Amino acid sequence: MLSFIIRRLGIAIPTLLILVIFSFSMMHLAPGGPFTSERPLPPQVLANIEAKYGLDQPVYVQMGNYIWGIVTEFDFGPSFRFKDRTVNDVIAQGFPVTLTYGFWSFVVAVGVGVTLGAAAAIYHNSWLDYLAVGISIGAQVLPNFVMAPILVLTLTLWLGLLPGGGWNGGQWQYLIMPVIALSTSYMASIARITRSSMLEVLNSNFIRTARAKGLSNSRIIIKHALKPTMLPVISYLGPAFVGMVTGSVVIDLYFSTGGIGQMFVNSALSRDYSVMMGITILMGSLVIIFNMIVDILYAWIDPKIRL
Amino acid sequence: MSMVPNTDRIKRMADNLASMEPVKGRSLWQDAMHRFLQNKAAVTSVIVLTLVVLFSLIGPYFAVWTNEEIDWSRIGKAAELGAPSIANGHFFGIDNLGRDLYSRVIQGTQVSLMVGLIGAGIAVIVGTLYGATAGYFGGRVDSVMMRLVDILMSIPYMFVLILLLVVFGRSLQMLFVGIGLISWLDMSRIVRGQTLSIKNKEFVEAAVATGVPSFTIIVRHIVPNLMGVVVVYATLLVPGMIITESFISFLGLGVQEPNTSWGALISEGAGTIAYGTIWQLLVPLFFFVITLFSFFFIGDGLRDALDPKDR
Amino acid sequence: MKFSPILRSSVLALGVASLALMGTSAYAAKVPEGVVLAEDQTFTYRDLDEFSSLDPQIVEDVSGSAIIRDLFEGLLNEDADGNLVPGVAERWEASDDKMTYTFYLRDNAKWSNGDPVTANDFVYAWRRAADPETASPYSWYMDLMSIENVADVLSGDKEPVALGVRAVDDLTLEVKLTTPLSYFPQMVTHATTFPTHQATIEKYGDEWTKPENIVSNGAYTLAEHVPNERSVRVRNPLYWNDAETVIEKTTALIINDENAALTRYLAGELDRTEVPTGQYPRLKEEYPDQALSFPRLCSYYYTFNLSDSGPEAFKDVRVRQALSYAIDRSVITDNVLQGGQFPAFTFTPGSTAGFEVPDVPFGQMTQAERDAKAVELLAEAGYGPDNPLRFDMIYNTSEGHKQIATVMSQMWKQKLGVEATLGNMEWKVFLETRGAQDFELARGAWCGDYNEASTFLDLVQTNSGYNDGKYSNSEIDQLLADAKTGGDATANYTRIEQIMAEEMPVIPIYHYTGVYMMNPQIVDSWPVQNVQQNWYSRDLYKVAK
Repeated sequence: MLSFIIRRLGIAIPTLLILVIFSFSMMHLAPGGPFTSERPLPPQVLANIEAKYGLDQPVYVQMGNYIWGIVTEFDFGPSFRFKDRTVNDVIAQGFPVTLTYGFWSFVVAVGVGVTLGAAAAIYHNSWLDYLAVGISIGAQVLPNFVMAPILVLTLTLWLGLLPGGGWNGGQWQYLIMPVIALSTSYMASIARITRSSMLEVLNSNFIRTARAKGLSNSRIIIKHALKPTMLPVISYLGPAFVGMVTGSVVIDLYFSTGGIGQMFVNSALSRDYSVMMGITILMGSLVIIFNMIVDILYAWIDPKIRL
Repeated sequence: MSMVPNTDRIKRMADNLASMEPVKGRSLWQDAMHRFLQNKAAVTSVIVLTLVVLFSLIGPYFAVWTNEEIDWSRIGKAAELGAPSIANGHFFGIDNLGRDLYSRVIQGTQVSLMVGLIGAGIAVIVGTLYGATAGYFGGRVDSVMMRLVDILMSIPYMFVLILLLVVFGRSLQMLFVGIGLISWLDMSRIVRGQTLSIKNKEFVEAAVATGVPSFTIIVRHIVPNLMGVVVVYATLLVPGMIITESFISFLGLGVQEPNTSWGALISEGAGTIAYGTIWQLLVPLFFFVITLFSFFFIGDGLRDALDPKDR
Repeated sequence: MKFSPILRSSVLALGVASLALMGTSAYAAKVPEGVVLAEDQTFTYRDLDEFSSLDPQIVEDVSGSAIIRDLFEGLLNEDADGNLVPGVAERWEASDDKMTYTFYLRDNAKWSNGDPVTANDFVYAWRRAADPETASPYSWYMDLMSIENVADVLSGDKEPVALGVRAVDDLTLEVKLTTPLSYFPQMVTHATTFPTHQATIEKYGDEWTKPENIVSNGAYTLAEHVPNERSVRVRNPLYWNDAETVIEKTTALIINDENAALTRYLAGELDRTEVPTGQYPRLKEEYPDQALSFPRLCSYYYTFNLSDSGPEAFKDVRVRQALSYAIDRSVITDNVLQGGQFPAFTFTPGSTAGFEVPDVPFGQMTQAERDAKAVELLAEAGYGPDNPLRFDMIYNTSEGHKQIATVMSQMWKQKLGVEATLGNMEWKVFLETRGAQDFELARGAWCGDYNEASTFLDLVQTNSGYNDGKYSNSEIDQLLADAKTGGDATANYTRIEQIMAEEMPVIPIYHYTGVYMMNPQIVDSWPVQNVQQNWYSRDLYKVAK
């Protein structure tokens, strides 16, 4: 297992490097810079600003300096847009927000999804099955940018139950709507995958043997069927995680939570190069780590796979 | 019971056999088609999808207004005067600028369907070739090719897309390129997996033994046998493409005025639900939802039909 | 277009060239007799985006400036009508040639850490603003103020100490200008000129604006700042006029989506938010005491590319006139925006102090007459349905701009057979494209930096850095130069507007209004007459329900 982790981390480094080089080059290709404004700056001031942020050097030099800064001091540079803050500040501010509601969305999506899917499979072809399938397909086709305003309208304006947005340090009232909006479509996919996977498992030979041996239903499901059912679900978790990261942009925009996704879009639009790079690297690293965890989980469940 | 053979019966059987038609064999595809047709949900979906496509092609002939013409008498008064009505020619009502929603929805349907199909098409072509090549050659080639895919998959695609659109400007073509670039990765993984199991079959061995060049084997023998899996996943990809496109339109980076897409219409409609113009959301959302539903059911149906074990 | 007498009197206040002795009346919240104040004196409002900085010399956006006006205080402030009232300076004197201004500071102004506010703080701040080392995005404003040596300091040829501002003594500030400017005192209400605390900046560097470090001299101090979510400022008891302050706490919430903000306003979470495009009439009907619309000091227009890279068709004045005439501005203001905006046939808004909108010929015609004339002009220039005029029009990404551009292109299509292709791009790209003359017809908007017509008309000067269409007219240049030195520039400005109406280098569309939903408890104290919307929390109060 240790050698597996080391191998994966070994691949992670060139991955991130490619990511950095790619993003850096793309950003500098884009027209407009961080200091393009309607009131053009006097040339000397512009020259000074550019020198201050190192923009007067060739792109590859900038990239080199940037990577060096990260490797030696974990310093992601100053933000171009927020003149009195560094990228580390900006990310330290927004990341916990995204992490919190992302984590809870994940828990809800997996928890509710697996339960719903398993129930549908166990009570196959009953009204519960049809209801579950109906709900999950319905939830899957409603994009979260439609759900978000509907949620706000219903729960904040008409029913007055929850605040309409903001974060306020992450109290539970501010978490509910973002988590619902974000988790719904993934919950639906997980439910469908669980259902079809469990149906297959329940029809397999070793389960039939267990039933023939007279084991109770609940024991069969929990002790024998659950693990193999989870295999396809676990391989879905990787793409689901990536999807939630991108979906968080919508959540941030609608609920004004101030997370990383919105910061990325804003920094792309205002050409805040260092914030963009910082977030890209952060997200890339997270995805890599997450995929590694998923693979380990997969191997733990499926004894045929050896790391 | 008599143990003597019943000559009458045997004679009749012989006559029957002689006059009977030769038994027509059923190919695997016909088997699959048969199973598919028995899946009521899938068949309904095919009908619905066909209707949607027909609507987008024939609908324009019934349109009273074009998709960009502004109804000056109703502009700005969508809540009071803009509800759907047959009388004034605005079958689906108007948007906030007084433009006919019927024509706009038709045009949006055309764009969104195109995006979905072309995106899925790119994914299929690129992904299949890449995955089949990697799976067939195996060994180091496979290792390197798949590592590349892993690396590319860990890049959060939305960020790349936004970067692309910011750098190269917004246009429909850019959208296709962007969506296509991301979608082939999953497909290549799946195809590679399938190839690994196909390449060990005897007919491939035979082809190798007779000296058929590798790429010809891939294209003529392996790929056709992948088609089942590929088709299923392609159908499930299309809704994903449409959703991605609507998300991009929501961010303002997608299709440009006066053209529109479902995503653009839905996000406009979602913004105005509180202002008494609910048809602006419901109509495009309706088309969006039934089309996606249809693709899902068709994909599920195809999967059940082509591989009954996998139900 | 004529405006209220109150604005006229602010003109008189500006024109005063000698000693401006201010009365001793209260300058903060003037709560009228008999008004019962609410228990809860907090004000919560919405901002579209996170502000760029809380450093007065660096801030460049409207939302940041609003917060800085509460946290810091400059030489002078504006009252609810936009007139100048004392700030840190009790009074000022101008020399006869209007090139030397002396400000006399009060002796009881304090920083939030107890230090007294002195003239040296202003000298430090102004030098800092012009210093290329500071890299301030608003350093051009110092140039606009025409202070002695400012150009050399900005270019790095001279040290900041050479800037023509000095502290005669701790309470006296003297400024020397290179050009006589009668409206100079107006310019010191802007955030860039606010004083900053040297010791704090030197101690904390770039981090000095964090709530735990910041030292400010205004009516409020920064209590909390969560980037991209909220910022909170609370009453500063050390402020010299604290006795008159009523509002205890002001909170700014960042909400990107205007519809979401409206929903939260209606749910009671906000006291003020902007009205989404087109929703004003409905909201006015449902909430008559909460929906407000009042004039703002901004203009919306489209500019032709008249440089060499521009299309040939636009060089023909008849084409430009035809395009401008065919626009039915009242459809845009009454049917699309619906916020009480003013259709514009001239560039400078009527809400500008001392300015009266001149009547220009095409503004007097009916729309039908304009349409007919447009067809005629375009035909003369050789275009029509059989030879359609084609060009690109660009605007920066926004729902509102998109609607207006779409309406304009449809009007041209239906009336003149013109085929205008719409293109939108995000802000940065748009600025680059327009600034490089890489366009044919581009949207523009301009808000005044100070309340006088030259802030608008300077844009059509040949050398202006904001003249993206590269329009050039020597008569206008001369009139503008004369206007700065002479006494009454009204005649010059009127003539410039008339020339612009004849030559049509830009198509004026409308003059802005501020359209807000505001908690009725705070409406009474809101400075609706202040066209630059320079509002101060210390002037507000909440009436009991």
